[in-house]
Amino acid sequence: MNNTETVKAGLKKRYAREKRFQFYGKAAVMSGFVFLIFLLFDITTKAIPAFSITEILLEVPMDRSSLGLSTDTSVSIDDEAIAAIDYAGLVKKSLRSQFPEATKRKDKKLLYRLMSGSAEYELRQLIIDDPGLIDGEPLSIWFKADDDVDTFYKLKRNTSRIKAQQVEFIASLKTESRIRTALNWDFFTNGDSREPEQAGIKGALLGSFWTLLVTLMVSLPVGIAAAIYLEEFAPQNRLTDFIEININNLAAVPSIVFGLLGLAVFINFFGMPRSVPLVGGLVLSLITLPTIIISSRAAIKSVPPSLREAALGLGASHMQMVFHHVLPQAMPGVLTGAIIGMAQALGETAPLLMIGMVAFIVDVPDGVLDSATVLPVQIFLWADSPESAFTALTAATILVLLAFLTVMNALAILLRNYFERQR
Amino acid sequence: MQQRNKKTASPSLSLGNFASTIGENLLNDAKISTRDVNVSYGDKQAIYDASLDIGRNQVIALIGPSGCGKSTFLRCLNRMNDTIGICKVSGKLMLDGEDIYAKKMDPVLLRARVGMVFQKPNPFPKSIYDNVAYGPRIHGLARSNAEVDEIVITSLEKAGLFEEVKDRLNAPGTSLSGGQQQRLCIARTIAVSPEVILMDEPASALDPIATAIIEELIDELRQNYTIVIVTHSMQQAARVSQRTAYFHMGRIVEVGDTNRIFTNPRHEMTENYITGKFG
Repeated sequence: MNNTETVKAGLKKRYAREKRFQFYGKAAVMSGFVFLIFLLFDITTKAIPAFSITEILLEVPMDRSSLGLSTDTSVSIDDEAIAAIDYAGLVKKSLRSQFPEATKRKDKKLLYRLMSGSAEYELRQLIIDDPGLIDGEPLSIWFKADDDVDTFYKLKRNTSRIKAQQVEFIASLKTESRIRTALNWDFFTNGDSREPEQAGIKGALLGSFWTLLVTLMVSLPVGIAAAIYLEEFAPQNRLTDFIEININNLAAVPSIVFGLLGLAVFINFFGMPRSVPLVGGLVLSLITLPTIIISSRAAIKSVPPSLREAALGLGASHMQMVFHHVLPQAMPGVLTGAIIGMAQALGETAPLLMIGMVAFIVDVPDGVLDSATVLPVQIFLWADSPESAFTALTAATILVLLAFLTVMNALAILLRNYFERQR
Repeated sequence: MQQRNKKTASPSLSLGNFASTIGENLLNDAKISTRDVNVSYGDKQAIYDASLDIGRNQVIALIGPSGCGKSTFLRCLNRMNDTIGICKVSGKLMLDGEDIYAKKMDPVLLRARVGMVFQKPNPFPKSIYDNVAYGPRIHGLARSNAEVDEIVITSLEKAGLFEEVKDRLNAPGTSLSGGQQQRLCIARTIAVSPEVILMDEPASALDPIATAIIEELIDELRQNYTIVIVTHSMQQAARVSQRTAYFHMGRIVEVGDTNRIFTNPRHEMTENYITGKFG
């Protein structure tokens, strides 16, 4: 056999090997893709119910006697009187007039349970905002239904929590077109609540925003400064080697350890308040710092020496060389590190549990010193709640978290492209 | 690399009984004078006892085979070797009577006086204008934007680039051709008004036409600047320089007027090199 024949004989085997490798590669990519699609599909289908809510139309009488106010029209109605109105009773009265057949105590109780607890607050707000409604025509208002009614009506799924009597009530409402499903804006504008129909993610969303803002403000400058110092100015000795090893190790420390550290240092030692985005952001900064430092150092190291020489040769000082030439050139790489770090911080849950950001907080935070929770913790909390309506809320929150992440990354990529164009 | 191996392998190419530099290595009224300069990178010595004077307003070419220390020598003249931690320089290097390696000599100030053009064109990733304006700006050489404009234009004119780029001063410097980039780098160096310009194989990455333009430019610049040029091309050394120093294995073998070196070399090594027996 001459050489050509030997090569020819082996060729088939070589090509087969290449084909096989390509197949493995494609299979790996496809399986990853399938899992991703499955995940997104599952979350999206579960999340859809959270974006709509069942509402019931009630006729609320506005005459003074129904409101329990003095019927003497000469008496003006002050704020105190408005605040003293029994709004819960008013909602109940409207329900009773809708269903006069419910006379037994048990039936009435079931009837009242059709409505969400939020109805009375909504009504109260309405009258406080416009006291002129009093003495006017009866108001027709769409109030939110209770979450069990919502689940039953929206998903046509009967749970043991809806009694036969209530099914009848709902059927009668339906024939009169007094029940509907509407967009659930409250999901985006409300804070957390024990009642699924009133629970929203604005609190967690803003909590995440404030926390990440603190993280970014702390970890980006500190990370870049540390990377520049270590890469450009620090003397090469055992101490810097030791620091480098430690930074690399820190990147692998479980995040809950950082939570404990934050609890010990920021809350117990420095006496910062619990559950606030400031402390959460500081803890997350500790977690993202190693990532940012390592990637920034790599980016700085990759700036070509010819550029440094050009600057030094013109008489730029070391500092001018770094800040005028090296850093702008390294910026895209630095930002890539920052993106990875911030994405990591956005999804971090465990360390925030340690510093109390897992508390039940209804109010929407207005700043870094207001008690808050964050999106992943909100998911954790709702996934743990017994009411079935929270399942949809959990899935919807995951979608919002993914959207938040996408927006954040898109911004960072735009910024990175901008810096890439600059060089 | 191969040549280098050949060089060390062949005994006829070794320096033999090297005593000291042959020829006219010292001058009266030198711009830069160096005496007994030794440079080492860690354990490896790169330059042995180099003594060379560099005359005012003339071009001196440093020639020699790869790894002979000519670039290292050049980089000592504006302390660019400072950035390499293991590099040790001893001996005397004087710029107009001032010790280049003295404690009180600030490398930043030194490099403003002794500019450098590198082998590979390395414009900043900024506009053509900003490339030239950078030096004057960091050194505060211009008091107003109009002055910066003036410096940029005259520098580009001196580098023979202005006519080609006057319509696109805001285009990135990296968008120019290789030869134009190198002239931009020269303009950038001139903008700081240095006294000496060091050029490390400035034309080695360029085509013959761009090289000819650069060589012409070097000849013009000689009127106002002292130029030290490292080159691999003996023809280039012959064309642009008034004096030539031949380096071999870290030593300055022979120095003299370029005409004399190329027509009547005294040392055998110099002759072998310029006649193309090796290198």
